Amino acid sequence: MLNIDDLHVRVAGKEILKGLSLRVNAGEVHAIMGPNGAGKSTLGNVLAGREGYEVTHGGVVYNGANLLALEPEQRAAQGLFLAFQYPVEIPGVNNTYFLKAALNAQRKQRGEGELDSMQFLKLVREKLRVLHISDELLHRAVNAGFSGGEKKRNEIFQMALLEPVLAILDETDSGLDIDALRMVADGVNAMRDGKRAFVVITHYQRLLDYIVPDFVHVMVDGRIVESGDRSLALKLEEHGYAWIAERKLAGAA
Amino acid sequence: MDAAALDGLLGAATPEREESWRYSRNALRALLQQDFVAAAPPPQLPPEALALIDALPGAVRLVFVNGVLAPLHSDMRIAAVFGNDSGVIELPSDLPQALHVAYLSVPGAVPSHWQTSHTIRLAQGKACVVEHHLASAGAETFAAPASEILLGSGAQLDLVCISELPASATLYRRQRVRVDVGAQFVCTHALAGGRLQRFDLDCTLGQARARCKQRGVFALRGREHLDVQLDVRHAAVDTASDVLWRGVADQRARGILRGAITVAAGADGADAQLQTKNVLLSPHAEIDAQPVLEIHADEVKASHGATVGQLDERALFYLRSRGIDATTARAMLIAGFCREAFGAVEDDALQARLDAWLTRHLPLAGADA
Repeated sequence: MLNIDDLHVRVAGKEILKGLSLRVNAGEVHAIMGPNGAGKSTLGNVLAGREGYEVTHGGVVYNGANLLALEPEQRAAQGLFLAFQYPVEIPGVNNTYFLKAALNAQRKQRGEGELDSMQFLKLVREKLRVLHISDELLHRAVNAGFSGGEKKRNEIFQMALLEPVLAILDETDSGLDIDALRMVADGVNAMRDGKRAFVVITHYQRLLDYIVPDFVHVMVDGRIVESGDRSLALKLEEHGYAWIAERKLAGAA
Repeated sequence: MDAAALDGLLGAATPEREESWRYSRNALRALLQQDFVAAAPPPQLPPEALALIDALPGAVRLVFVNGVLAPLHSDMRIAAVFGNDSGVIELPSDLPQALHVAYLSVPGAVPSHWQTSHTIRLAQGKACVVEHHLASAGAETFAAPASEILLGSGAQLDLVCISELPASATLYRRQRVRVDVGAQFVCTHALAGGRLQRFDLDCTLGQARARCKQRGVFALRGREHLDVQLDVRHAAVDTASDVLWRGVADQRARGILRGAITVAAGADGADAQLQTKNVLLSPHAEIDAQPVLEIHADEVKASHGATVGQLDERALFYLRSRGIDATTARAMLIAGFCREAFGAVEDDALQARLDAWLTRHLPLAGADA
């Protein structure tokens, strides 16, 4: 589904990703862990199509096509979703209005019929019930005045509603209490099936107790330096990122 | 135009000398190269002009065409007290419906001018007034409606002013507001269009506990030129003002927003808040935002700020990452930014009117000019 090959990316003249390769197949959950500044968020932003990220080498193939050639809205319509680390506040734009506009824009790009208000609200109620979210968030402006936890819940709610094929969660767990963390995990787990894939970017292993990944990758200084199964995350938790760096040094010697 | 006519249009203003005309002096000078004659209302209102007046269901309506009351289109019970170009509207304190006052300019054979001087008085109770400033397409007109708004003690007036003008129309609007003991003036302005549009709002909180809440939006495009001069004067104890404006300018439009708050000596306990935020949508657009705060009293709570910036790129990417195309995303952001200033309007029908106005006048964000 997603094939990232030797990706090099510069931001403001500085190389952040330095040869990152990753292959994600349908149905898989990949966790990407790593210390601050490793380039984890850069990866999420590049995949979603944010401006200001210059790909100098390598490429990304998504469902057989060059992902990097697409506009952000085209990527979304083709099923790519980024849950933001810092969801943006948009005062004056009603959350429900925004969600309906987003869903219908995607459906239109895919050549599917747009949902009318009744159909949309029915879908919204269904998703709210699954995620145990109060509909109060819907009546407010997008993320405006939301607490950190509410913003992250709103991200997961959007994900549930938009039903992406590939969801990238960028440190969605940071700053969450245990209840909110469970809700995020429930949101992801409810959507796990053989067709969908998740890339879960996280700093801590804690989230992975709830979203059990198929693969764990450790990212240091712009590349993936170690990949393994779930036990890798547990080892990291125990030994810290310095352990990886030491092992790399030992390997080089 | 002869000197007397010009004096009538400009009132006491002396654009050649006053600092407040600094940014609009040249635009006015260019305008006055043309010869304007006194406007006469057409014998019959053309249907397309009449269609401009967006009727408010249930409202009592007064329509002025080129400054003259149009009896056929007005509610004559209220209009009876009017003279030709000046008059006093005494708002009954028990008027359940809104008063809708429409000022319409229609073109003559040559460029024309008109002026009015109206007083709206609300002695007590609560009332809602909607003012509409319009001009037919192609109307080369110079309109100068002046109004004085007087609020008696404890009265509350909600005022909504909407302007939508073609690029050929000029509007110089002056509004003087006097707020008595414990009275409250709540106004929302939505300004768009015009070759030159100038709006002077002078609000004096001259008695104890007088309050004013001001909201405003201007949305400019093309070569529109709009100049807003807000003056709020706190001249008594425990007065409060809360002013919030939003401005957007696209293409080669020019906006000026000066917001001045003066707290006079002795006006202790004054609470003055002024905030304006402006967004430029094109490298050729310009907005000059100037906050002025003058405090001569102690025990005052005051804050003011003015910013001019661009659309938030992070917000734009956020919307696009959810599947919304760039053009639609920009329009949503601009509308949301402006809509924040419409929060003081409680009436749903009026909110819908303001939303529709916004949709009509939303600058063509991102379009190259």
